[in-house]
Amino acid sequence: MLALVLVGLPLSGLSGAAAYFLPVVVAAYAQTGQSARTTASPSAHPSGSAAPAPAAPIPAGSARTTAFTVLLLGSDDDSKFQADGVLTQSMILVRVNPVTRHVAMLSIPRDLWVPLSVGGAAKIDAAYSYGGAPTAIATVERNFGIHVDDYVWVGLRGLVKLIDYMGGVDVTTSNPVLDDFYPADLESTNPYSYKRVAVLPGPQHLDGIHALEYVRSRHGDIQEDFGRSQRQQQVLLALRGKSKSINPTDLPGIVATFNGEFKTSMNLTDFGRLRSLLSLAGQITDPAQIEQILLVPPYTSDAIIGGQSVVVPNWAAILPVVRQHFA
Amino acid sequence: MSRRWSPRGLVALLLAAALWVTCGLGAYLYLGSHRSTLTSQAQKPGQGRQANDAPISHLPGVLYLVQDGTLYQLQRGTFTPVLSSPGGPGAWTQPALSPNGHSLLVVRRDYAFSDLYTTDAAGHGLTQLTHNASKTVELNHWAFYPRLTADGGSIFFSYDAKDRFNDYNVVLTIYQMPVGGTFTQARKWTTPNGYTGGDLQPVPLASGGLVYTKYSFDNASGRILAQIWLTTRAGSVGRALTPAADDCSEPALAPDGQRLAMICTAAKQVTSIEVAPFDGTNLGPRQTLVTGQLASQPAWAPNGGGLVYLAPQGAAGHFQLWLQPIPLAPPPTAAPPSAPPASPPRGAQVAKPTPTPALTPMPPAPSPTPLPAPIRLTQDNDFDATSAIAWHA
Repeated sequence: MLALVLVGLPLSGLSGAAAYFLPVVVAAYAQTGQSARTTASPSAHPSGSAAPAPAAPIPAGSARTTAFTVLLLGSDDDSKFQADGVLTQSMILVRVNPVTRHVAMLSIPRDLWVPLSVGGAAKIDAAYSYGGAPTAIATVERNFGIHVDDYVWVGLRGLVKLIDYMGGVDVTTSNPVLDDFYPADLESTNPYSYKRVAVLPGPQHLDGIHALEYVRSRHGDIQEDFGRSQRQQQVLLALRGKSKSINPTDLPGIVATFNGEFKTSMNLTDFGRLRSLLSLAGQITDPAQIEQILLVPPYTSDAIIGGQSVVVPNWAAILPVVRQHFA
Repeated sequence: MSRRWSPRGLVALLLAAALWVTCGLGAYLYLGSHRSTLTSQAQKPGQGRQANDAPISHLPGVLYLVQDGTLYQLQRGTFTPVLSSPGGPGAWTQPALSPNGHSLLVVRRDYAFSDLYTTDAAGHGLTQLTHNASKTVELNHWAFYPRLTADGGSIFFSYDAKDRFNDYNVVLTIYQMPVGGTFTQARKWTTPNGYTGGDLQPVPLASGGLVYTKYSFDNASGRILAQIWLTTRAGSVGRALTPAADDCSEPALAPDGQRLAMICTAAKQVTSIEVAPFDGTNLGPRQTLVTGQLASQPAWAPNGGGLVYLAPQGAAGHFQLWLQPIPLAPPPTAAPPSAPPASPPRGAQVAKPTPTPALTPMPPAPSPTPLPAPIRLTQDNDFDATSAIAWHA
């Protein structure tokens, strides 16, 4: 009897821990480890160079020691769109070198006019709507001549909830962000309704809704989407700063906040890799370790194609920068 | 075959089961209690214990700060709500005191508009000064950053006049309105740069001029950056007092009118609080007082012997009240040569400086002697870092 009790105690303790982490495991299987690859792979690159070969997969359980590239995707996922038929309003390539502890972030303009991996040409934000993350990744790889190891996709509400769960973010907002036609799609049943926003400048603590207003508004910015990309990188770095304080017991709460607003090809069931990524985030403390790149002119120029206002890439200028930071 | 449990065995089994459940539940609760404190709730100002000899008790005069849409008065270490949060999206923010300290200007911000109000120092006799609400979303207006002139006769503030030719160009412009007047009597002082956010944070000068923050697009960095700007009369282009690359904003004039505090970021995510001598026309060499924090809203002590400001405490990121003592400099003996004006931003129009005689000699550059470390005056509060601090003797 005593032996039964003694054996039962650790088992019941483990059961309690299992119950605590159950939402993480469920979400890990449902939302992580998503496919990042298309089955067919068209070959043409606009610059004429060959598409990069996919890298060998990293064995489960191994901590990353070689540099890797993640494509961060952010979407308007309101009722204007069908599930997984959304545009990616934000596309940021992040290259992390665990050895040198150097991070490069490149914001891809959402209006960048490129050949899509599924054929035809369009703004790059449409790639996701034609085939989800695999098409978005293939399009980025083809055009930028790089290999993307993983992707992370977050919906609007997911970003708001994540920031709120983390207690908000401290940001020095760069300038007054004023917009009389900001989408009110999170508060209204009408996906085309709009509202006024005014994010005042200077250091401040932003909750999820106000952080989203700061990174999403573009109408009143002289740089339009480029200005918004700068702000997105600021908030992303503020979130990274907050992530240093996260520990594994926060994971169930974080998972609950996403509730279908998050997908990734990373395998979060591999706790070893997750731990090494969090550890790496904590080690990158000097802002000089993080390089922020925007494809402003002369890397790009404005144009009208097919009646659409688009951003035309200057590949001769872009690709050397990409090779320098993402090769 | 079934085994019959003896009463003692049954009791033992039930006890063991209770122990197992307790152990499992304990593990669950233990893990839950070890989550990070990122989401720790802030306390309302004045809640929690505070020692009688705490530094906050020694602040002279009366301060006004905002937390969660409520305007608080801080006197002798005690916080008192002066204007309670209107609720919903409504919030009080950006208090400014009249020169005699008897009345307050304050902004009430709502979902799509904000208005200026005036009240006495205790929050009584609230009077609405502007009427910016509209049923049409884009016809609402913002009014922010109110400041009274030194004679108490008029109010400077930022207002988003509509651009008739482009709905997307929403920028703040600084206006001057007589106290007791209406917006139809308001006079436009500045011409903001389009699509930058505009002109804000006016600081009226005793000479009749105006120091404020102007946002401009900086070609060199490819960013929208802030500059401390000086203009001597309404409609004048004025000129920059700080270089664009330093990204300085939130000007705060010392009670003697001879020093200007500001925050500068150099387009980074950390800020420094800097102070420079100011003779009404030129800014002298800047001295960094506080660095390495996300410091904001510097406000001078009534005797000029220190600055309070807001900056976060710990990972939770709630903004607390801090004090940076500044040893009072001896009175100036001679006027040093004026510092050259800051180089204008590329592409900016610069008016010829209006000859404004300095009323008093510019004080010497601040002493390079090390300053005392900043003192955190509050903990676990969460003050609104976009709201100025008002302080009166």
